[in-house]
Amino acid sequence: MKFNHISRGVLIGAGLALTGLSPALSQEREESQGMVLLRGLPTLDTKHSIAIVELDPESDQFGEILSEVEQPDIEHPLHHLYYSPNGRLYATGLDPSCSLAEVGLARDAGGAPVISGFTCLDTQGQMVGEDIMWANSNGQEYMFVTFMGGTGGDDGGSVGVFDPQTNEVVKVIEARKSQVSEGAPFIMYPHGISAFEDRMVVTSTVHPDLATGVGNMLTIIDLNDLEPIENILVEKEKPLNFPSSPVEVLFARPGMHPDIEPAILANTMFGFETWKVPYDASSKTFGEAEVIYSGVANETAVPLEFYGTEDELFISHALPGVVKRYELAALPELVSSGPDIVADPGAHHMIFYTSASGRDLIAVQNNLLNLGNGADDDPTDVDFIADLASHTISVHDLETGERLATIDFKERYNKGVDNLEGLFGSGFVHHH
Amino acid sequence: MRWVVLILAAAGVAAAGWVVWDRVRGPTATPIADFSAPFVFGRFAVPPDNAMTQEAFTLGRHLFYDPILSGNNEVSCATCHVQELAFTDGLAKSPTLSGGELDFSSMSLANLLWGQERFFWDGRATSLEEQALMPIQHPEEMGQDIDALMEELRVSGSYRKMFRQAYGSVTPENTAKALATFMRLLISSNSKYDQYLRGEVRLTAQEEHGRKLFMAHPDTKVSLRGGNCIDCHSQFLTSGFRDALDGFSNNGLDSDETMPDGLMAVTGNPAHKGFFKVPTLRNIAVTAPYMHDGRFDTLEDVMDHYNDGIVVSDTLSPLILEADNAPEAGQGTVGLRMTPDEIQAIIAFLDTLTDEAFLTNPQFSNPIEGGS
Repeated sequence: MKFNHISRGVLIGAGLALTGLSPALSQEREESQGMVLLRGLPTLDTKHSIAIVELDPESDQFGEILSEVEQPDIEHPLHHLYYSPNGRLYATGLDPSCSLAEVGLARDAGGAPVISGFTCLDTQGQMVGEDIMWANSNGQEYMFVTFMGGTGGDDGGSVGVFDPQTNEVVKVIEARKSQVSEGAPFIMYPHGISAFEDRMVVTSTVHPDLATGVGNMLTIIDLNDLEPIENILVEKEKPLNFPSSPVEVLFARPGMHPDIEPAILANTMFGFETWKVPYDASSKTFGEAEVIYSGVANETAVPLEFYGTEDELFISHALPGVVKRYELAALPELVSSGPDIVADPGAHHMIFYTSASGRDLIAVQNNLLNLGNGADDDPTDVDFIADLASHTISVHDLETGERLATIDFKERYNKGVDNLEGLFGSGFVHHH
Repeated sequence: MRWVVLILAAAGVAAAGWVVWDRVRGPTATPIADFSAPFVFGRFAVPPDNAMTQEAFTLGRHLFYDPILSGNNEVSCATCHVQELAFTDGLAKSPTLSGGELDFSSMSLANLLWGQERFFWDGRATSLEEQALMPIQHPEEMGQDIDALMEELRVSGSYRKMFRQAYGSVTPENTAKALATFMRLLISSNSKYDQYLRGEVRLTAQEEHGRKLFMAHPDTKVSLRGGNCIDCHSQFLTSGFRDALDGFSNNGLDSDETMPDGLMAVTGNPAHKGFFKVPTLRNIAVTAPYMHDGRFDTLEDVMDHYNDGIVVSDTLSPLILEADNAPEAGQGTVGLRMTPDEIQAIIAFLDTLTDEAFLTNPQFSNPIEGGS
């Protein structure tokens, strides 16, 4: 669970001050503002940046950048945004010089939120930060960060354990396949992360250069001693003839809904599948992994994120660019709760919020990751799997899925959009 | 010699011209230097006709500390709002001019920039500007005739200048605006808890225990123990709530028979009987005694009230009524039923809300007595 009771209290506490606004202040509601990480496009002469964007189609300012801080000195952009339980904002980063950063937020003299800057943190050499979650080990809370490049090398990858107050590295969890004994658990190219009780799971996705290696395993970490204890293979169909590349992962658990039987759900980026791995909490053992969704059979590809609201689970599929929705209480089985939300190719991160009139909305960021084309040095030309970078955020009615509006960041700002987070958190309850 | 005379004459003309220009020009609107506020405090809004400027703050600060605002020229706002006591006065009820005591305890002034559309314990003012003139004109608080005050202020060259720079003219409206601006800029954001939120310090184990209790509504079904504080004090870092009537509650102090009207006196709604403003908890350790009537001398007394002393009445907050860590105890009383260690932990957490920098900030001190 990304936000616990206290964390949501801290963040939403700020948001609560906005409830019941007088008419004069209705133009200043912030619940519908999103934080985005924007990618500068070299051929369009723009810089990477962090920005606050209005996402309410009912607002006159829909699509406007309200605050922005550029990253002129960093070659590769920041990657994912996460709020800590205490409301501090962090970003992982793709540039080795800034693989993890804390983002400053403040308010100007008019009361508006502004991005005051960002501070790159010491990761002790861990590179290519991906996902962050806060979890307990022996009663002590830590910030866990997956670094897909780890400390480098062909089979690198690490999970950084940070002091959540000081941001200092407490431990680097690392187990190279080339260095552990035959059959011993390893960590390689970790990206997705989730946890339940004293078990954490990370995925093995792909080497950051996208050429050296691709993973097909989950790695289980014992949170008691912060050591890897098991690998689980999640690979069946190979539609691209690549390893499956598990990417995002969700440890479905009763805390999300009392009817849920614990199990790991994992999306495989190149296998196009969603996997289920049952977990017996009493014996602390994992059952047999099985495919519960086939992209090949359903004509979808590159499944990415899990987001859960109070009663639904949403999974984004970059191709054709849809968000599928399921009944939360039915997890770990995927029981459809409604028709697909048709976004754009690259459908990826999402947030949930309300419009000024109270309409429930979902915004979907539609860019897989701008992987670039070395031949012409133009990252807007993606020759990876297919066109997975629409550079858009599409806004939909949450109940019907109807698209209400779209922001094309490339057209409007000459930038790509790599990540989306709500100004007060994403409005979801379950992510990791 | 002739040149000297000419130069002196020119200088004199220039000086006279500057004086005239200074007196006829409009107000100066200097933005508050280096203004920045914590993001987590939430959005704030300043009335469009009373922008926060350095000139307004300076005028408001002088007015706040000047006993000229009272009829007998002996009572200032600061008489009942003392900075080192987080702008309270340390008394259960503030004294009246005739030697008695007012109905209410002096309220702390901090972070009034956020939230709040109603002021005073019973919510009888709907803006800081409206609030600012009420104690001045109250016969038992400052006992001042507002027209007489304007005459006194106009006699003062320094006030004429400060008013001119801030707003233009000496009027009751501009007096209220200046006082409101000073109060809005009494920003407290450097308590230990603020520093903790910024990652600068750690809480002790007891403080952290108290923080968790503070944030939790007790739920015996899942063995969750809680102090139930956040249910009412969700805006504990600031001063209140945006929604006009949110942030008022009956917290179980009196029975229906003895209960004062509270918010009902303003709204006329019987459902609001006994409702009083949920105050900020910032600097709560230095604002004793507690409650709207100062009936509790210590935070321990306050916690004892919530733990085992809730008086049930028709308008008692249901969030308080149902918050019980040990309902099976069946003692016939209503309260949280926390352990002594839990109570001390919550108090330890409340102590982290004290902002010494705010309590001693020279920018908020008495400028008439030589404050910076």
